[in-house]
Amino acid sequence: MKPSTFCCTRRHFLQANSFGLGSLALAHLLRADNALADAPVKPAVDGSQRFDLLPKKPHFEPKAKAMISLFMMGGPSQMDLFDPKPMLTKYDGQKFPGEVKYDNLAESSALVLGSPWKFEPRGKCGMELSELLPHLAEVADDITLIRSMQSGVNNHQQALFAINGGRITAGRPALGSWLTYGLGAEAQNLPAYVVLSHPNGLPTFQSDHWTNGWLPSIYQGTLIRPTEPRILNLDPPATLAGRPQQRQLDLLKSLNESHLADHPGELDLQARIASYELAAKMQTSAKEALDISNEPESIKKLYGYDDPKTKDYASRCIIARRLVERGVRFIQVVNNGQSWDHHGLLISALPANCLAADKPCAALIKDLKQRGLLDSTVVHWGGEMGRLPVRQNDKGREKWGRDHNTHGFSQWVAGGGFKRGYVHGATDDFGHKAIADIVHHYDWHATLMHCFGFDHAKLTYLRNGTAASLTDNQGARVVKELLA
Amino acid sequence: MMVTRNLIAVVATPVFFLAIAASESGTADVLFERDVRPVLKAHCTHCHGEEEKPKGDVDLRLRRFMDKELDGGAHVVVPGKPDASELIKQIRDGEMPKKGKKVSAAELAILERWITQGAKTAKSEPATLAPGPIITDEDRDYWAFKSITKPTVPTLENAAHIRNPIDAFVLAKMRGKQLDFAPDAGKRTLLRRVTVDLSGLLPTVEELYAFLTDNSPDAYEKVVDRLLASSAYGERWGRHWLDAAGYADSNGFAEADSPRADAWRYRDYVIRSFNSDKPWSDFIVEQLAGDELAGATHADASTAVQDAKRRDLLIATGFLRMAPDGTGDEVPDAKLARNQVIAEELKVVSSSLLGLTVGCAQCHDHRYDPITQADYYRLRAVFEPAYDWQQWRTPAQRRYSMYTADERAKAAEIEKQAVVIEAEATAMNKKFLDEIFEKQIVKLPEAEREPYRAARAKVEKDRTPEQKALIKKYPSALASYALDLYDKALDNKVKDKRGEATKLRATKPIEGHVMALTEVKGRAPETKLFSRGDHDQPKQTLAPGELNIVARGDFTPEKLASGSSGRRLAYARLLTSGQHPLVARVLVNRFWLNHFGRGLINTPGDFGVLGERPIQPELLDWLASEFMANGWKLKPLNRLMVLSTAYRQSSRNDASLKADPDDMYYARYKLQRLEAEALRDAMLAAAGVLNRTEFGAPIPVARDLSGRIVVGKGEVDANGDLVKVASLGAETARRSIYVQVRRKTPLTVLDTFDEPNMLPNCDARNCTTIAPQSLLMMNDTFVLDTSHALAARLRKELPGDARAQITKAWLILFGQMPRDADIQSGLVYLAEQTEAVRAHFETNKPTPPPAPKAGTAPAPVPPPPDPQLDALASLCQVYFSSNRFLYIE
Repeated sequence: MKPSTFCCTRRHFLQANSFGLGSLALAHLLRADNALADAPVKPAVDGSQRFDLLPKKPHFEPKAKAMISLFMMGGPSQMDLFDPKPMLTKYDGQKFPGEVKYDNLAESSALVLGSPWKFEPRGKCGMELSELLPHLAEVADDITLIRSMQSGVNNHQQALFAINGGRITAGRPALGSWLTYGLGAEAQNLPAYVVLSHPNGLPTFQSDHWTNGWLPSIYQGTLIRPTEPRILNLDPPATLAGRPQQRQLDLLKSLNESHLADHPGELDLQARIASYELAAKMQTSAKEALDISNEPESIKKLYGYDDPKTKDYASRCIIARRLVERGVRFIQVVNNGQSWDHHGLLISALPANCLAADKPCAALIKDLKQRGLLDSTVVHWGGEMGRLPVRQNDKGREKWGRDHNTHGFSQWVAGGGFKRGYVHGATDDFGHKAIADIVHHYDWHATLMHCFGFDHAKLTYLRNGTAASLTDNQGARVVKELLA
Repeated sequence: MMVTRNLIAVVATPVFFLAIAASESGTADVLFERDVRPVLKAHCTHCHGEEEKPKGDVDLRLRRFMDKELDGGAHVVVPGKPDASELIKQIRDGEMPKKGKKVSAAELAILERWITQGAKTAKSEPATLAPGPIITDEDRDYWAFKSITKPTVPTLENAAHIRNPIDAFVLAKMRGKQLDFAPDAGKRTLLRRVTVDLSGLLPTVEELYAFLTDNSPDAYEKVVDRLLASSAYGERWGRHWLDAAGYADSNGFAEADSPRADAWRYRDYVIRSFNSDKPWSDFIVEQLAGDELAGATHADASTAVQDAKRRDLLIATGFLRMAPDGTGDEVPDAKLARNQVIAEELKVVSSSLLGLTVGCAQCHDHRYDPITQADYYRLRAVFEPAYDWQQWRTPAQRRYSMYTADERAKAAEIEKQAVVIEAEATAMNKKFLDEIFEKQIVKLPEAEREPYRAARAKVEKDRTPEQKALIKKYPSALASYALDLYDKALDNKVKDKRGEATKLRATKPIEGHVMALTEVKGRAPETKLFSRGDHDQPKQTLAPGELNIVARGDFTPEKLASGSSGRRLAYARLLTSGQHPLVARVLVNRFWLNHFGRGLINTPGDFGVLGERPIQPELLDWLASEFMANGWKLKPLNRLMVLSTAYRQSSRNDASLKADPDDMYYARYKLQRLEAEALRDAMLAAAGVLNRTEFGAPIPVARDLSGRIVVGKGEVDANGDLVKVASLGAETARRSIYVQVRRKTPLTVLDTFDEPNMLPNCDARNCTTIAPQSLLMMNDTFVLDTSHALAARLRKELPGDARAQITKAWLILFGQMPRDADIQSGLVYLAEQTEAVRAHFETNKPTPPPAPKAGTAPAPVPPPPDPQLDALASLCQVYFSSNRFLYIE
């Protein structure tokens, strides 16, 4: 440091404060803490790792590049939507002839609840789907329906951890974090991992859906507001718009970098620097990406944006598609609370849920397909569990519901290398337990990772001396039968 | 880690792994309790013992039940003869278990060895056993359920860094990982750290100088004591507890999210309790049973609140009123809404004080922890008399007026006068209308006048069709209402008269209310176990009691003269008796988390099987013992923690960062981002505008035209559309803890920086780093306004001296001097930015205000553009946005 500048600084420093403590020593004290520390701070760790969201190559050539997860928290009823069971109809109202693995054995009804809805073969493939999903029926030839999902954990939160984070324990990174960690994102002007929430509120377990767990925080999902403005604060003040704000950001970056140099390896500091860079780009790109007003009428109609009943879900599906087009890696569309958890009122509540989401979801498939994006985009529809073949809340037809079931449930998936018009696995005659070609939650994850070009066991993050992965030594297998 | 893996492998039987580990580790004897029961629990007892009626009448919960002879003469277990034991035969044949995972070869081998060895138990078995899962000694042996004993402080060699016992415990573990403390943090860093930690504010420049120039050996201790004694301490640490309690100023649950007008008194009670260092034993008892301590019940609570001390005790029970409560709003299912309040409140109590998630046991036995459904309803029974879902009281019915008799009388007197005035106004109105009518009626044909008069004299519903038709024929003659349409001036006279009543009413003494939880005298409704948690499916009645797993003796309600059940008081005393295994552990763990950024158990609301296992169980227990031994006072514990080397060390320790990124061994101080409230408060304080007024009704929030939730009062037009948000002046800049917490509309600046959403409460905050936070720092009106305020402060204090302004900004915001390069870059920035802003105003001339209409005062002229100030503000904004400001090292 040049003596002259030091003097100058000191003068102003004294001027700034009326203490008259004009000692050089004090100025020195204010300059650096190391002077007071017992020992000098060690030099920076060589090559401390910086994490970023730049596109990265997976282990092998991938089929899928992006994923839209239409997450149905609560546990949609598979025997009313995806998994027709004539035996249920036959035994409707009678005692369940086998043994039910109840959520709570002592307290559920043992009376079979035949599905109140009809199933029909759909598409050329003849996939049987419920009348509650007339629009999905139109794209039956484009989807793979898995009827043999299992997670084996009966609580919503742990089941969510399993299907969304790989294991039933809390604190782990969500699937979207793993994918963005492994692949980065094509888009550097939008968050790599976006969550679109419902206007009536967040899902019950909130940020458990989009947590980065112990992965670096730049792999965290970014929650977008459900109504306009979907992202706040996208407009700079008039006096700073353009170059002046860029000047601010340049100075900010140099300040933050010099600060980081004193704290090498602090991932949160790195993430904050990256976050400003992203935010600056989002000011122009996010508004455009999230604005669906210029979508053609035909598209709005296709998704049901013109109908109040489907408008919300349609808007979020259209946004999801727009984000995929713009290079976002992972988008999760979530519902409020756990609104598919139909312990009661199944007969009225399930159709209402289907009505809101069926048309937009099917439209998403059609739209991605017509744009040539379905081949490289995985679309997933499913929740964290399924439901039981017997009545719950046995207080009259209107009130009937179904209890949790994690021994067999359904989900569907389209695009990104999955087969088309294919039904995988089966549950027993009553839709209770998966009995053929069982797909555990970790098998599902291993298969997904495969589509994205990863050996699931080898995409790891070193943590406390262990290489942790999404599937984490659970004996996961890639279910090749699901793949085209 | 290993425990977790194996836990997952067998799903839900952690004991299983422990048992296998024990039996494989060479212990010769196979013991029923330790080795066998976990296997049976994993595969068998769900059907054979835990249901109301065991399958096939075979109950495997106790060893002695297995001597039972089956149909056909076989025995479940024949000691010494595994081949003759039906238990073994059925498993070998694959007959059992009928469902779920098969018994593994290793597990079967344990069963066989046990029978071969004589099928022994380690202890004698209970004589009687209620149906349902049993809580075993092994369950009780789980670390968190064991009684707290004070461990010996380890003695270590070469331990110059040890300042107090905390350091000895921490260092001992650290060394096992080949780690050592980082060097002490420098004074600047330490001052900033401890000031934010204890007060939620940044050190002022004056405080910084005072500390740096204080060379006495106890300079730091003096700072700590000053902070602990400051009123800001309670505002900071009270906020931590409000997270656990789930504090909100709105009712939540229903769409309306109606305001909860009286919650703030509880918030103030919490702040005062922290500032006075009220012993937590009292603090907890007051919050759980203040009404019973005050000797109050529902009928006499309004009398009780007249006495300051009893009022405080009633306010304390606001803790049990914090959960979302939609019962005063429109909800689809009122019974459900009521029971939901109770369920959520039990969640708050259990996660904040017990560190357990009891919620699952509402519907079924807890899958992971030894908490049965009956346990849950026993706990509920403790609280049931106060909630009483079948004779429910809505939030409005649980407010107790603070009026004194005098005030009430005065208010009544004023009301009486106001009613008289209103009657006069009504009479005036009628008189005026009648006069108008008399003028109107003469315009009607003679023959219709009397019939019309008769029709007018009746109220509308009593009029005959003919009369109605007549009035319709001459509508303007009616003059029964809408005086203003006939004669504006007369109407104004009536309005003025009514205005007098309104004015008079405004002179009534202000009526405050206390939001409290009370019982109805003598009414203690039965608590039923709800099948599946469904209140429409009540089963057996349960008496109040502690969770079995932590119970130490019988539960006896306190006998109270007031007629309250005494259940909560008894329970609260049990929790604070010093014998409870969880409460003190849970509390000190939360305190530690707040100081260190990571809990000793980093799942502070879940000490159960799914929670984290302690790496430092001795330290946790030592702290818990110390806390209780010192009269449950927090400040001495705060002091102990912040004076430790563990706390005072630098945040830089590369070895620790590499080997222990989560900082589980505390070999560095964990770098932390300012929490939402601290961030907002620090910005306001830096700008010199923070309003340190304490306590009182919450400062309202409103949605602005851009969709942000800001501090202020929303103004709507005649159509109900938002026009603008009116400023509240200095109130706008109150500390964040005093800003209204609406569950559905959280303040944007706090919400964006991870202020918790209270559904119903928050065990530990998230700390996210997402782009919306950056956008907020770049473009949000709060940040822009506050940056301007800071710029104005700097210019006022150091006019015309950009260098000094930059230096001062660094001292205020970062607590350090800028390097010369930083000053230079700041100066260059200011010069360029000033030019840019000037250019902006050249091309975008502010539109002059419209010329005033004749006879009106001209609109206030906006201040002329000030590019220099704008540039300085934009520099301050950069500093606010920087990591040096946002993070605590």
